[in-house]
Amino acid sequence: MSTHTPEELVHDARLGLEDLLDRESLVELCESAHALFGIPVRVFAANGALLAAVAPVHEVCAYIDTVAAGQAACGAVVDGVKTAQPAVDVVHPCFTGQAYRITPLVYEGRSIGKIVVGPYLPLGAGRASAPILQQYEEPRLVEALARVPRASDATIRNLGKHLTTTLGLIVFSGHKALLTSSMHLATVTAGYKELEEKNRQIEGAFNRLKELDRLKSNFLATVSHELKTPLTSIIGYSEMLMEGLAGPLTSEQLDFSATIHDKGMQLLDLITGLLDMSKLESGTMTLRRRMMEIQPILHDVYTTVLPQAKKKGVELVLDATRESCELNADPERLRQVFINLVDNALKFTPTGGTVTIESRVMEDPADDDQAGLALLAPTESQVRVWIRDTGIGIPRYEHAKIFDAFYQVDSSTRRGYGGTGLGLSIVRRLVLAHGGTITVDKNEPEGTVFVVTVPSASHPMTQTSLPPPPVGTG
Amino acid sequence: MQLNFAAREVAIKLVYYGPGLSGKTTNLRALHQLVTEDCKGRLMTLETKDDRTLFFDMLPLVFHGLASATAEDARSTGLSLRVKVFTVPGQVIHASTRKLVLQGADGVAFIADSRRSETQSNAASFLDLKANLEDLGRAIGDMPVVIQFNKRDLPDVRPEAEVLALAQRGKEPVYQAVATSGAGVAETFVGLLHLTYSRLDREHQLSGKLAITPPELLELVSQRLGGASGQTLLGACLGGFRA
Repeated sequence: MSTHTPEELVHDARLGLEDLLDRESLVELCESAHALFGIPVRVFAANGALLAAVAPVHEVCAYIDTVAAGQAACGAVVDGVKTAQPAVDVVHPCFTGQAYRITPLVYEGRSIGKIVVGPYLPLGAGRASAPILQQYEEPRLVEALARVPRASDATIRNLGKHLTTTLGLIVFSGHKALLTSSMHLATVTAGYKELEEKNRQIEGAFNRLKELDRLKSNFLATVSHELKTPLTSIIGYSEMLMEGLAGPLTSEQLDFSATIHDKGMQLLDLITGLLDMSKLESGTMTLRRRMMEIQPILHDVYTTVLPQAKKKGVELVLDATRESCELNADPERLRQVFINLVDNALKFTPTGGTVTIESRVMEDPADDDQAGLALLAPTESQVRVWIRDTGIGIPRYEHAKIFDAFYQVDSSTRRGYGGTGLGLSIVRRLVLAHGGTITVDKNEPEGTVFVVTVPSASHPMTQTSLPPPPVGTG
Repeated sequence: MQLNFAAREVAIKLVYYGPGLSGKTTNLRALHQLVTEDCKGRLMTLETKDDRTLFFDMLPLVFHGLASATAEDARSTGLSLRVKVFTVPGQVIHASTRKLVLQGADGVAFIADSRRSETQSNAASFLDLKANLEDLGRAIGDMPVVIQFNKRDLPDVRPEAEVLALAQRGKEPVYQAVATSGAGVAETFVGLLHLTYSRLDREHQLSGKLAITPPELLELVSQRLGGASGQTLLGACLGGFRA
């Protein structure tokens, strides 16, 4: 095959027959021409190399070779044929009276080789009288010559023309195929290089983003921690002021101190949330798991939030399961989850409404198509807790987003309710850390229901550790 | 350009550039029809089934025996001028092919679509040509370039007066053409070949080395392109005389 580069090919590369032709097909072409007239056919490259030949030796040539002088004379004729580089068709005679016809092959104005047809006996050729022939027995020579195929000048010329036309077409097709494949390869290579470069850029950008994300989490953790220290003093001293440790306060001074204390507490909640988030994101939060049941947690949540519910005029109902289901969980973190959810429910439920905390033990694996369900289901028990409210509800299209950090449904109307927008994000991450799930749905007829599922201690999901921090959230 | 003094052979590469469907391949087909039989090879087109150029088209032209009438030396064979004319695929996606085909080009004919609606594509393709040449380390200002406003027979084309005004402001020779009927095709080709050979002559003193001057070459090639004189063909050029 050609060793030309695509760049050379789209210029003026000097192409040879050997670049463009399949040798075996070329032999087939010579065979078909030989089959027509019985005359030998040879194809040479421009550099003289023989590319294909179908040339059985004529009896007369074999006989000539038996005499040294004849063999030498024959060699000279053959050399002449081999070295000839005619610009047009020529007939090259042999001393035996036979002849060769040499037809040049030209492509794009350049010689790319030649076709040699022969030896044959030209029709009407007279008897050869070269002195060298006197060294041979005449009857045998005449008999052998009679067996050489004969052809008229026109026939041989037409055969040469036919072969050059056919070869010209094959060369053109070969050139076209060579160009097409080289260009295709060059284009694909260029496209690949381009993609590779783009991939490299994307990977670089991704690594920079990852590094930025890490820096952000570090920054968040450091700043939150540094903010917490002076804040503790602000809250502590405002408490001491309110308790009268620095002397009695007027009612106005008491109000001001209470405001300082409340706002300080709000700020502390936010900072604690940020710290939790950064720990969850960096994967440094560890769960202090131990064997426990859900009922005491939910009861604790109920009693903690009850005064707040009473104050707002919202009915708080606890309907905990009596069935036992051992969980291997961090009670403090689960308490945080449910306090947050119930607190939220209270916040968005108007006076006269109801917030219900309901829990059940379930034996239903998430995937009904799971293999061996009948065997696995009993080991896959889990506790499901529903926190229902009769509040203003959350539009369905917001359901997917409410667990994103800092996300608040319709921030303009909800601002009055307060909150950092971190609560649900932390809740979700904590539930996931326990191998559980959390979903949100519409409560009938009004309000919202959050469904938290925590797998039992024997459930495979309980073995799950904290999930890796998702990139790009928070 | 490739020069072979021993064989008295010069090989020049010309590229027809332009936006998709502006008529580059049509120009080559028309040129193939115009050139005398002894000068042309087979026109190679690599097209997709919807007749869009996939990689390029290539028309090899060989002008043998170009000899100056006044040359008194014994070089009876004359000069062989081998010209390979390529077109690039106009569609935007074939950017890498365009750059590859453009490599080693000695001159560029920019085939523009005369319709007003194609003004943006013409400009974008010209900027693409400029950028590709720069990527190959060549400045468009140093490249022999002619511009052809093709499809003059269609409605909503820029009027001739407007083309003339534009041509006179620019430095590239501008030709008008209807490639489908062959009009303006020889003019564009000869204009580009003349500009290219003149540039190569200045850079490599070809007149002295090959004993054939640009005006002589212009006439000898024009004779094999339908007979009109070289000067007549060049006369069709609008503007661009500052080249």
